[in-house]
Amino acid sequence: MKRPLVILTVFYCLGIIFADFTRVNFWIIVATIILFFMIVISLGRNKVIFLTCVLFLAVLLGCLSMRNSWTMSNCHIRKFVVYKNNSFYWLNGRIVSYPEFKNNHLWFIVQTRQVQFDRIRYKCCGKVLIKMDFQSALNYGDNLILAGSLNPPPRFGRRQGYRDFLARQGIYLIMPIKNSRQIIHQDKSRGFGFIRWCFCLRVQLEQVINRHLSSLPASILEAMVLGQKRNIPWLVNDSMVKSGTVHILVVSGFNVGIVALLINLLLKILRLGRKLRIILIVICLVIYCFVTGASNPVIRATVMGLVFLMAYFLKREPDVYNSLASAALFILVINPRQIFDIGFQLSFVSVLAIVYFYPKLNGLVRLELCKIKLLKYIGQGCLVSFSAWLGTMVIIALNFKIVAPVTVLANIIIVPLATLITLCGFTLVLSGLIYSDLACFFSLPTAVLITLLLNINAVLIKLPLAFFYL
Amino acid sequence: MINFTSEERKVILFILGLAFCGLVLNNLVKVNCRVERLIYPAMQLAKLDINKVSLIELAATKSVSLELARRILEYRDKRQGFGSLEELKEIKGIGDQRYGKLKELFFIE
Repeated sequence: MKRPLVILTVFYCLGIIFADFTRVNFWIIVATIILFFMIVISLGRNKVIFLTCVLFLAVLLGCLSMRNSWTMSNCHIRKFVVYKNNSFYWLNGRIVSYPEFKNNHLWFIVQTRQVQFDRIRYKCCGKVLIKMDFQSALNYGDNLILAGSLNPPPRFGRRQGYRDFLARQGIYLIMPIKNSRQIIHQDKSRGFGFIRWCFCLRVQLEQVINRHLSSLPASILEAMVLGQKRNIPWLVNDSMVKSGTVHILVVSGFNVGIVALLINLLLKILRLGRKLRIILIVICLVIYCFVTGASNPVIRATVMGLVFLMAYFLKREPDVYNSLASAALFILVINPRQIFDIGFQLSFVSVLAIVYFYPKLNGLVRLELCKIKLLKYIGQGCLVSFSAWLGTMVIIALNFKIVAPVTVLANIIIVPLATLITLCGFTLVLSGLIYSDLACFFSLPTAVLITLLLNINAVLIKLPLAFFYL
Repeated sequence: MINFTSEERKVILFILGLAFCGLVLNNLVKVNCRVERLIYPAMQLAKLDINKVSLIELAATKSVSLELARRILEYRDKRQGFGSLEELKEIKGIGDQRYGKLKELFFIE
């Protein structure tokens, strides 16, 4: 077996999917796992039996993990709430996300501790999404008492609706807060110090970007460098969906690579040793992961980066497929329901498609024979873009009901430009952190590139047959 | 001397090149104000002009229903265009909350 982790991950994923489609009892799965363990222990010397049992165990563990994620604790807040009953609840809890002002509302997640209704208090657990109609100086870790109704999230679609999206994060209820009398601020900042520090760093970085760029370029740079999409205008997002280039507005493996390269360069200038450099890069990557909100693509890229760095540390040959599998396993062990998240699917499938199709397409086209360097680079860009499009086309068509033939052309032009913008963005942010006036050098070229990107995108979606809805 | 890899050399050259471009652009902006228009993206790229928007474009924003989109266009035709975005509030079906969403989508040239 060349790549054992890849095979185990595939079978684990199959188990999760199987559990989602069937309603197998939790204890039946437990009994089957015990049976397979007994077979492995007694007949494990036979290679074929051992391998078959291990693969079955991977499937069953996937099933079990999925079934376990459905099981809700008896004291979960959802179990206290009667739907279609507009009762008034008092909640006591702690803010566990960064409060964000979006669509004229302040949104944050509260980890509940206590719920009170009908004058009786109960201990509880679970998360509730809070939607406040006004701005308030709240922070991660603040303890609050909230009063209001608890409603299920609205459903906009059958499977991939907003309700499903929140359920995958363990959120089943929303509490609307309409006035300041519904909220009592108890005490400040009790959460994890490291996460609080990461949020503070993110705010500082956002301030650097907003100080040196006007609102539109700043919103795009915040999305590309810090993964914060909340300020992106609807029209920009929509035009990028139409051209199939919306992926540039999220933090991806490329950003993680840039962070690693820049930190390595800084540490090299400081003349630090190789092993110490790797350890410090690992720490910086973890910080960057939390600063950008630890979304699926960032976790995937960070875990892959950590596996690669670990390989260099141990002087082993890194393998892309194994590192990709370890990243998938890392996310799915924590939350198996993430396999149904479009972000997760697109992130992994696009990387897999590039890794798999690109060498094969390159072998067909034989780009290495091309003597003109510029043509070779353009050709490589085309092949990478085409590989990613091949891999993700079906998922995009099924979920967004849009087919955009302009995607291949758009990616060839826009991805190199986005790369340049990301590099400029990191230079701007880091220089702004070190010395504010230094960032002035980099702000104007960044703004020019963003303007160019938006104009090119606007022209591309106006081409005939650029995109069509299914 | 420190031994840099070829990638690291490229990064150093990139940062220096970027600083050079920044200085040149900074100087151009000071000399000629029109250059600033080329540097920063036009409003049309981020928002729709409420006085030019079509029924399909309005309905595609998903913040207004087809019925409300028709009412907005009727109001625009009757008044021969919007003077300010605040006028949207005079249309039936647009309260403070919806106005808050709409003002993020539209602008008046």
